[in-house]
Amino acid sequence: MKVEVGEEIPELVKHPTTRQLVQYAGAQGDFYEIHYDQAFAKSVALPGVILHGLLKAAFLGQLVTDWLGDRGTLKTFEVSYRGIDVPGRPYRCRGRVTRVDGGQVELEVWGEDPEGQRTTVGSAAVEIFSSPLRGAISKSDP
Amino acid sequence: MSTTTSVVERLRARIGKTAPPTEATVEAGHLQRFVEAIGDPNPRWKAEAPPTFLVALVPVSMHLEEAEEYGKGWLNGGNRFEYMEPVKVGDRITATGHVADVYEKTGGSGSLLFIIFETEYVNQHGRVVAKLRGTAIRR
Repeated sequence: MKVEVGEEIPELVKHPTTRQLVQYAGAQGDFYEIHYDQAFAKSVALPGVILHGLLKAAFLGQLVTDWLGDRGTLKTFEVSYRGIDVPGRPYRCRGRVTRVDGGQVELEVWGEDPEGQRTTVGSAAVEIFSSPLRGAISKSDP
Repeated sequence: MSTTTSVVERLRARIGKTAPPTEATVEAGHLQRFVEAIGDPNPRWKAEAPPTFLVALVPVSMHLEEAEEYGKGWLNGGNRFEYMEPVKVGDRITATGHVADVYEKTGGSGSLLFIIFETEYVNQHGRVVAKLRGTAIRR
């Protein structure tokens, strides 16, 4: 597998809905009302219900694992939430290779709102296996 | 002023103290609901946990009710995961967490309280599978 510093990995665009926030609240067990109760969210000075930071982290995790496939393993994954995101707006996940040292590869990752603001920023470190089975790489989704 | 100071002081007294461990088994049904909720169709997640699943398996932070005396609401500041080995369906995971730091920052829009949690996840073989550092913010 050829990985070069500066290379951008395939982007992932998610389309979060209020329904997905409720689904995620249940699956994670995070029932903080700012993620499903519009009146409560407004009472704490938010524009309405907002995405869970950890849901955005899951999107960025998918960005990295979709790109990596079975060619290596994820070692560290870090995200900082810089801004809020609301359902009904596409969330664009992007990443770029920042360091390559043998099989050790680091990436910067970020999530953008439709205005191009990076509301989540982070990084990932992966270890690429030294003898990848090129022919064995298969992905069900592009 | 004295109220907020005392909340911060009381929370700072918790730094380094470990909460009782929490145990949970990775169940296929829960994993499936989680991957459906995040919308990740990768077939690998039928048997293996995706990168952020551990936060759903066991609580990410100790419940610090007294922190709710500070400000109006919670915000998640960030998360850092470190992975040692994959977590699979059937694994029995024990999570042990502690408060790593508590501090206050004052900026243009007011004061914020930062609480840093660290959690270590150990599997049924006694091996550390992952570590998580989380920043919870009261604003």
